[in-house]
Amino acid sequence: MKKFPQLAVPYIVWSAIMLLLPMLLIFFYSITNQGNSIVSFTLTLQHFHKFFTDPDFLLILWRSIAIAVKTTLICVLIGYPVAYFIANSSDRARNLLILVITIPMWINMLVRTYAWIGILSDGGILQSFLSLFGLGDVELMYTEGAVLLGMVYNFIPFMILQINTSLSKMDKSLLEASSDLGADGVQTFVRVTLPLSLPGVVSGITLVFLPAVSSFFIPKLLGGGQFFLIGNVIENQFITVGEWNFGSAISVIMAIIMMLSMYLVRRLDKDNTAERRVTGV
Amino acid sequence: MIRKNAGRMIAAAMLVSSAALLLGGCGSSSKGEYAGQTLHVYNWGEYTGENQIADFEALTGAKVIMDNFESNEQMYIKVANGDSFDVLVPSDYMIERLKQEDLLQPIDKSKIPNMDQLSDEVLGFPYDPDNEYSVPYFWGTVGIVYDKTKVSEEDLAREGFNIFLDEKYKGDIYLYDSERDSFMMALKALGYSMNTKDENELNEAYEWLLQCVRTMEPEIVTDEIIDNMAQGRKALGLIYSGDAAYVMSENEDMGYYLPESGTNVWSDGMVIPKNAQNVALAHEYINFICDYDAALDNSETVGYTSPNADVMKDLSSEGGEYYGINAYIPRSGYEKDEVFTYDEATRKVIAELWSKVKVAASNA
Repeated sequence: MKKFPQLAVPYIVWSAIMLLLPMLLIFFYSITNQGNSIVSFTLTLQHFHKFFTDPDFLLILWRSIAIAVKTTLICVLIGYPVAYFIANSSDRARNLLILVITIPMWINMLVRTYAWIGILSDGGILQSFLSLFGLGDVELMYTEGAVLLGMVYNFIPFMILQINTSLSKMDKSLLEASSDLGADGVQTFVRVTLPLSLPGVVSGITLVFLPAVSSFFIPKLLGGGQFFLIGNVIENQFITVGEWNFGSAISVIMAIIMMLSMYLVRRLDKDNTAERRVTGV
Repeated sequence: MIRKNAGRMIAAAMLVSSAALLLGGCGSSSKGEYAGQTLHVYNWGEYTGENQIADFEALTGAKVIMDNFESNEQMYIKVANGDSFDVLVPSDYMIERLKQEDLLQPIDKSKIPNMDQLSDEVLGFPYDPDNEYSVPYFWGTVGIVYDKTKVSEEDLAREGFNIFLDEKYKGDIYLYDSERDSFMMALKALGYSMNTKDENELNEAYEWLLQCVRTMEPEIVTDEIIDNMAQGRKALGLIYSGDAAYVMSENEDMGYYLPESGTNVWSDGMVIPKNAQNVALAHEYINFICDYDAALDNSETVGYTSPNADVMKDLSSEGGEYYGINAYIPRSGYEKDEVFTYDEATRKVIAELWSKVKVAASNA
């Protein structure tokens, strides 16, 4: 087959300008001091030092990671059965269900999150409903639960779609082979379906965890001004404080954490695949 | 100052842009002096009278494109990075900053004859003593909105802003998510000037705010306070006078209190940035806003105090929309009240400290 490597040039240029350059700029900001122009800058690590020596920032980082892990777990626990159900539906039903899952994503995430304010706020729809059972005083907005709900709601389609793709791609004859060999439904699921769908779960985890750990407007809207996650700290440094360098340093730290977690998750997946080959599953 | 919730802002922005599309279709037929020209206005969300844009377009034949911002800082970033608008409506200290950074052009007062209609009380604020660069759009104070059925007036009179440290009201208060207003409250509660540059005083204010978020379980909100106080959700909150006027007109249990320790008197003004593209039309617009009809429309719709003297009088006297609502008339001439001035170093310290207060509140 003839190849046209020069056709890739526009894409490479495009990615360099749109992806690489901004990242380099952020990195540059993170190791320099405010106010200096490109001609006379001084290198410094003080922003990183400031972040790692302040227990308050570290606590927030910890909380951001914890809430992202919780979000991801809930998304797997809810998303997997849903994806399994969709993958096992008839073609027509499957297309319809996938459409239902994707339609909310046509609406801007910000608008969808605003809708939750109306549902969760004091005197909102949900509280009015709960008050029918004498539970009207339950505080729903500005809690960790509200933030968690907002995140799961916004990110779960990524999980469902990923798992569904890998389940649908699975060769159904493997299931027949499994039952021919005497495995019951549970055994087939645990030893055939689940391992084969793991790549979908892994990319689902990546797609949910990364936006969840850096999300800033969901905690801002549903958690209120007193619910700060690391994304809010970054936004705050840029917009209100005006410390672009410190904000960039935190962004770099976050980028490193994300790359590390992606690497670990992929490793996990690879190990699994390797193991499967060895044991012959 | 910041208005209503952003959900409504989005809806409003959509309305405005679709209206602009519609008008664009028939704009060519209007016969005004400025027919075919465009005015770019950058203003707070929910800060314009319901007929303001349509009336101005009918008067001049020009098309108005209105963009909205949520905070002075958000506006500043756009303007400082070169986005071009013809008229901006920043707050006092931000006008001073834009002026210092040479981003504004002087206003030709001979083209604003309607400035005569403005109240003397709102002209000549320290950030622009001769109103060389700015013409007031709205003005007001910052005070305490309180539920008369839950908060005793003696407590308010005795404690002033320190009522936000009174554990009797624990879990029942709103703070406003703005470093300037929060530090104003803390500094005034401690008896200092809100424009202090003294590090010790700023640190004391920081400690005051830390104590508040650690012991009082406040909710730190922005414009949610308006609807929530109108529904009587909590007992106390820090609020802008114009929002208080709205809250009080919706719920008669609500009161507005200005502490004796003094507070912030503020004004938002119209300015013309250096890179404005239609300076003549910008003057036309500013003049239009100062006039009685447009000012009345603005103030009636939004609830903030009009700088137009007659509008302020008419709306607050018997039969007016804000009759009997003390929040509508700003306290004027009280010596402990201050106007914000801009100082970059202090602004940074305060912003940094406020973000630490919020961090502490999240970790509380």
